[in-house]
Amino acid sequence: MVEKSSNKVICPSCGAENLPGTLFCVQCGTYLPSGGPLRTEPLTEQAERRQSEDEQLGAGTANGKAVSIEVDILNTGRKVLLSAEWEILVGRLDAAHGVFPELDLTADGGLEHGVSRRHARIYNREGACFVEDLDSTNGTFLNGERLTSYLPFKFQDGDVLSMGTMQLKVHIYTGKQ
Amino acid sequence: MKHPVIDPEKDYYGVLEIPIDADEERIKRAYRQQARRHHPDSGSGDVAAFRLVQEAYDILRDTVLRQAYDRQRTARGLTERGPLQWTFTLSRLHLEALDSPQLLYVLIDIRASKEKEPQASRLPLNLALVIDRSNSMRGVRMENVKLAALDMLEYLAPQDRLAVVAFSDRAEVFAPSTLATDRATLRSAITALTPGGGTEINQGLLKGLDEIRNHHSPNHISHIFLLTDGRTYGDEEKVLDVAEEAYTQGIGISALGIGEDWNDLLLDEAARRGGGFCKYIESPSQVRQILRDHIHGLSDVVAQDLSLSVQLADDSRIQSFHRIMPHMEHLGAHTARPYLLGPLQAEKGLSLLMELIVKQAEPGWKRVARFDLSSKLLKTAQPLQLHRDVELRFVRELDEQPQVSSRLLNYLSRLSIFRLQERAWLALEAGETNQATSLLQAAATRLFDMGYRDLAQAAMLEAGRVSQGGPPTMLGRKKLRYGTRSLTLPTK
Repeated sequence: MVEKSSNKVICPSCGAENLPGTLFCVQCGTYLPSGGPLRTEPLTEQAERRQSEDEQLGAGTANGKAVSIEVDILNTGRKVLLSAEWEILVGRLDAAHGVFPELDLTADGGLEHGVSRRHARIYNREGACFVEDLDSTNGTFLNGERLTSYLPFKFQDGDVLSMGTMQLKVHIYTGKQ
Repeated sequence: MKHPVIDPEKDYYGVLEIPIDADEERIKRAYRQQARRHHPDSGSGDVAAFRLVQEAYDILRDTVLRQAYDRQRTARGLTERGPLQWTFTLSRLHLEALDSPQLLYVLIDIRASKEKEPQASRLPLNLALVIDRSNSMRGVRMENVKLAALDMLEYLAPQDRLAVVAFSDRAEVFAPSTLATDRATLRSAITALTPGGGTEINQGLLKGLDEIRNHHSPNHISHIFLLTDGRTYGDEEKVLDVAEEAYTQGIGISALGIGEDWNDLLLDEAARRGGGFCKYIESPSQVRQILRDHIHGLSDVVAQDLSLSVQLADDSRIQSFHRIMPHMEHLGAHTARPYLLGPLQAEKGLSLLMELIVKQAEPGWKRVARFDLSSKLLKTAQPLQLHRDVELRFVRELDEQPQVSSRLLNYLSRLSIFRLQERAWLALEAGETNQATSLLQAAATRLFDMGYRDLAQAAMLEAGRVSQGGPPTMLGRKKLRYGTRSLTLPTK
């Protein structure tokens, strides 16, 4: 467990002292927050914070048009707004394996619903949005059809993506009104 | 309350004098400041300006209205930003006010605005291949270098130029700078290369620079590619001087090291000063692909001479500063002189990660650092300046765990491995065998966890040798140094 003593963060793995705020131990590279509770904050708040984070990053641009993708997780009702400026990895956070998905489905019961750590990626090219299954165990489905792994498929606003038994409705926002 | 009217023609951010990514607190503060300035009761009062400030605040403080405003602006093309953009991602925006130092991660992404025109209009390339033809290159290495050079002729555009210089104990110009359309000349120069003699890198670079300089102009992308497999002796300092001289003239230098015997520290440094890259070529058959990729990268350059200055608040300090993309590299930890970052490629962009130590015991806002970026745009040679203040809010008590950006975490997890092995080599140089061993072991563990089996095995092997008091193998060290620096690249 990460313990605070005199504000220093002690690495659970090697015992090195790190300054408060450190995320990876300077001595051995261990992910420090993993010793404590992981992302247990209320879902709505998380979504809000995601949103503000994305605004802070600046909206995604493709040919000058902002692109952001809102994911409506139908199983839990959580909504997440993501900037499509960078590729969005969908999966479950696993610090030890260095997997930090932009859309982390852990808190939505991702494990129970058969979501892989690195399940799929979503990205924007020339204004169109693509989803690509990353050879996940239980597959990615676009409107009910299973996608071939590592082959990008274009999706439209309002489509439903399934990761295992997790249902995600996607909305695409571009600069165009 | 009346439904507020959003006027996308008005620049609300400009009215409040804040960046478009300002957070709530920043907006509130800017509002107070501007409202005070324009309040009709104050000396410099101005009712119209005051109303505008109020209007801007009413829109921007409301998340929904602000988003609507932003989208309307974008739709009207009013958010046209400059040709270069940078975004800052901080590990935390709010910190606890403590009388002891704390760590803040600052991720800086520098990107070129995506252009509408296709890249057909790229600037002509002005290249020199400086090829090591010492004895050790004999056989499969030389054959592959020749194949790679001949392959280049296939994809250079008609307006591109290429010079071929080869060196052993002395340097010779095999083909002076020639237009790529004159394939016959270049082809016969390349096929005429035969190995023999020693390795005098400095001579080769000087000749290469001479050839390329004659045809250099701001309308060219000039670059020297050094291909070598050996060590140069006695002229290391001169090699670095040539790299620096070339860079000041706008000519880049990159190095491709073949096999395990070349001096990685020297060529890394030369490439760093020369605004290029240094690449480890494990198997000669990779020369062709790597050269191809990097020449493609050169034609994707949109700005060059990126230079970043950092000013810190009195009790702030840089713990470390690294380039993250296109490859990982230690940049030092100083504020006295600017960081020279070389060229910017449109596709890959440039990402930097700073570990900043900050200290503030009293709650409130504080500017912890200021960043100034200067650069030259390639097409217009127009100079460009950007600056950004990093401001933090210190509070008595944090009421929640911060949510850290996934990109930042992904980068940090890879960077931590790169740093473990870099520190291992330093420890080894200082004679701290135990420390080096444990660093290499830690790197191996992290690499195994993340599924980089080859690199993990290499780290294990070197850790084993080092723990026995032996030197690391040149091969293992290069594998690790060049393998881990590429961990941030997207996996295929």
